[in-house]
Amino acid sequence: MSVLSRPWNRLTVGGKILLPLLALVVLLTVLLMVGWLTGLIPALIGLGATVITDNIDILRFVAAVTAILLFTVPTAFVIIFMEMKFIAFINLRVGPNRTGPWGTLSSVFHGFKVLAKEDFTPTGADTPVFTLAPVVTYLAAVLGLLVIPFAPGLVGLDMNIGLLYFFAVSGLSVVGLMMGGWSSYNKYSLIGGLRAAAQAISYELPLLLAPVGVVMLAGTLSLNQIVINQAGWFWDWYVFQQPLAFLVFFIAATAEGNRTPFDLTEADSEIVAGFATEYSGMRFGFFFFAEYVNVFILSALTVILFLGGWNAPIDPAPILQFLNVTINPALDPGSLGMGLLFVLGLGVPLLILLLALPVWMLKSDWSFPKSLVVAFILFNVIGAGLAGVWLFLSFEVVVGLVWFTIKTFTLAFVFVWMRGTLPRVRIDQLMGWAWKWLVEIALLNIFLTAGAILLLQELAR
Amino acid sequence: MEAVGDRFSGPLRQRQDTTEIRIRPQHVAEVMRTVNEDDAFRFEILADLCGVDTGTEMQVVYHLWSALTPDWLRVIVEGLSRDDPRVPSVTFLWNGAEWAEREAYDMFGIIFEGNRDLRRIYMPPDYTSFPLRKDFLLPDDAARSPGEGFRHVEQPHQPGESLRRPVLRQGTSEQQ
Amino acid sequence: MTDPTIIRSLDDPDIWVETPATIYDAVPPYPPRTEREAEFYDLRDGEMLLNLGPQHPSTHGVLRVVLKIDGEKVVDLDPVLGYLHRGVEKICENGDWHHAISNCDPLEYVASMFSEAMPVMVAEKLLDLPVPRRAEYIRVLCWELNRISSHALYMGWQALDLGGLTPILYSFIERDEIVEMLAAITGQRLLFNYLRIGGVNGDLNHDFLSRLGDWMSRAGAQLEASTRLLNENEIFVRRMSGLGVVDRETALRTCLSGPVLRATGVPYDVRRAHPYSVYPELDFDIPTRTEGDSYARYLLHIDEVRESIRIIDQALHEMPDGPIMAKIPRLIRIPPARAWVAIESPRGQYGCYGMSDGSDQPFRLRIHDPSFFNLQAMTDMLPGNLIADSMAIMASLDPIMGGIDK
Repeated sequence: MSVLSRPWNRLTVGGKILLPLLALVVLLTVLLMVGWLTGLIPALIGLGATVITDNIDILRFVAAVTAILLFTVPTAFVIIFMEMKFIAFINLRVGPNRTGPWGTLSSVFHGFKVLAKEDFTPTGADTPVFTLAPVVTYLAAVLGLLVIPFAPGLVGLDMNIGLLYFFAVSGLSVVGLMMGGWSSYNKYSLIGGLRAAAQAISYELPLLLAPVGVVMLAGTLSLNQIVINQAGWFWDWYVFQQPLAFLVFFIAATAEGNRTPFDLTEADSEIVAGFATEYSGMRFGFFFFAEYVNVFILSALTVILFLGGWNAPIDPAPILQFLNVTINPALDPGSLGMGLLFVLGLGVPLLILLLALPVWMLKSDWSFPKSLVVAFILFNVIGAGLAGVWLFLSFEVVVGLVWFTIKTFTLAFVFVWMRGTLPRVRIDQLMGWAWKWLVEIALLNIFLTAGAILLLQELAR
Repeated sequence: MEAVGDRFSGPLRQRQDTTEIRIRPQHVAEVMRTVNEDDAFRFEILADLCGVDTGTEMQVVYHLWSALTPDWLRVIVEGLSRDDPRVPSVTFLWNGAEWAEREAYDMFGIIFEGNRDLRRIYMPPDYTSFPLRKDFLLPDDAARSPGEGFRHVEQPHQPGESLRRPVLRQGTSEQQ
Repeated sequence: MTDPTIIRSLDDPDIWVETPATIYDAVPPYPPRTEREAEFYDLRDGEMLLNLGPQHPSTHGVLRVVLKIDGEKVVDLDPVLGYLHRGVEKICENGDWHHAISNCDPLEYVASMFSEAMPVMVAEKLLDLPVPRRAEYIRVLCWELNRISSHALYMGWQALDLGGLTPILYSFIERDEIVEMLAAITGQRLLFNYLRIGGVNGDLNHDFLSRLGDWMSRAGAQLEASTRLLNENEIFVRRMSGLGVVDRETALRTCLSGPVLRATGVPYDVRRAHPYSVYPELDFDIPTRTEGDSYARYLLHIDEVRESIRIIDQALHEMPDGPIMAKIPRLIRIPPARAWVAIESPRGQYGCYGMSDGSDQPFRLRIHDPSFFNLQAMTDMLPGNLIADSMAIMASLDPIMGGIDK
């Protein structure tokens, strides 16, 4: 094969990628033409359509689960970056600012670093348990995302016992922490694991009792339904009807997620890293991810239960009616006909040129190609912004998603804020507080809610 | 001072702001107790406890402070032999002397009788020398160390030959 | 030259010793040497030895503490020192009186003017050397600045050991300004090597004075921010009050000194009890508290910072002109004598017992470090508390391993 190897060796790396790709494209085109002409391709498409429509539920479920699993990674990245940057600002530092614009890519590089570290099992550790502990903890976090409604219609699986499923699954994290603590053959891990188990179990009670009031008000355990019940203006949100439950839930959520001031399981000034002392590399990465996904999930749950989920705080319809404005963002590019080709072919480069000219004139030390590139980026940013606005105005899924994201990340920011500011609570103070105060307050809240509901029913009659 | 004056083995000296007395090891317990508890003295604060190797003998030096007098009191326990220095411990009066006595033991080899925890504090438990003694020679110590058998990087001088001047000193600071 | 046959490759399988899992045991592999050791390492049912090893995020240096714990509660403890032992006293005996200054610098590396002062003041006392007044005032200025930076570090460290990430960074801002100031006159940020026998090394310059004026105008604003964050914080107060209580009798018997002693009610401060340098002419108070717990010690440190700011103010305004160094020969031979000096460092009473024998080398230079004695209080304070508290208590004692291990 030397007749091929010599020219092959003279290609650059880019060439070595492009040439096979080109060959593949040509092959595929030929195959497609052949398939189309012989009628094979339409038959296959028809077959595929029937299969999909028959099993749409399973396929939807699989797609949802895959989307959720893929979604956890960027979410965790964003929350990790937020934490590093905001705690830095609280500490009067700058935080990561080298990797990517303003350090935004630092989480990505942290992910690579965690993958690249040495993966070992300590001597004397119980290997299967040691390996599975991070998996169990991560599962416990990720499985809970299945029932979270991100937007109207955008929920993994709308179970009518959604809340119950969520708490059942998040209880798995205790098992994972204990597995990690015990199997590490390390006294620090043992103490950390025991503390984690004690803390998680103690705070599960207030965590479960607080939403009971919400469930009573909404009449259903389905999270989707709870959000729908909070539609309207922001005073319809359950936080104004259940303020006590909101506080108890938020505090219990902080403790469940092992966040400061309740982060004694990973108190790194006392027991090094607690249950995760002997973990390194991707195993530790799993624990790490699980914690940040937990932050996201607990914020999301608080938002859903108390802060209206994907509902906007204001209902724009009455305002628009009052102002006699109708927004009809439906676009019909087909109406342009042949003009569409001209718009796309000529309009885009013209716009980029138009944007490049002021940039080139104002920045005297930039060459024209450089300002063209900057203009291209600007064009993309503006285009994406405009597209986003159009999406926001036309699809209520997008509206719901945007509001949900804003609210959840605001609460995640509060978690980060607490971490940067508050010192840690001691284990006996923590458990005493859970059992002596939070459980009682949650129970009190349940009785008050029940009484109020009965009273209102009586008055309505 | 007269109450315990008869225990002194040397004259009471005063210089600048320190009063110095010298006693023998067998009188340590009583002198310290008197000085600590007696209302005329009330030297409640033990400022320091250290060992000294004067070349001919070992000493233990205590520094005390009392609210009643502006001077420091220095108590020198002298006459300890270099081969078997033994002194009664003052941990019955001051708990804090425990570690200081451990340090004096570690550095000089002085045995404090009555200290219930007299083990080495700085050097590793299997160390065989007492570093601050005047007859401590580092090459000797290296030869007895667990690393024996591995040559250290450079040893240009022979054991016994000092780097600049003789390590063993003749005479002490006894004359004032 | 090193023998090349001795250095073996790391890939050589013979040099990798198979370590059995029992090396993780904190029980030492030799029989107990004293009855206390035997009593300590004899475990009862349910007790466990936890090794707070020399490498730990919050042991304030290389301190090893073997804790005997029952669940989360500490039953007994055995501190093991010596990981930072450098033989400073022996090295001082083999060098000059002047060499002792830079040798003794790292003893209290956080506020090293105090440990530097030890051989300097002992030599001056042995020589009966009067130090020029300007030098004394400069020394007092630098000492108080060091005290403030050390207390700032203490406050940050205390909060860090409790879990608050922010106050230590505020403390470091404060500390950074102060060390930059001191670097302007001494040339160093941490181990200053500034005091000399008979005075100080260099006079104050414009850089130092402008930075000092700048800093004084804010006078610890960053520390105030830190205290605002912590003092009223419910979690902080709950974790610190009632913790590690020392009463007056125990404190005197354990030979404590410094803020630890003053928090128990004993108003013993060497600057007032046995004045040295120009402290008798300066007007400041000795803050004392009576509760004796960690929170009292923390508040005491804050009070001391305020007093230090007062002293700096006075020293700046009353600084006389004159020489900064006494006339001494370069080679100092001190006639045979003994002397003891003590100063008040941020941790307590720093003392030095110096003996000279007529040559130019010190005969014995014994440095008495306050952290060495303060750490002994740990043995009384820790049992009965939880592991988390043991960190808080150790932090509140403010140990510096450089001085403890010498």
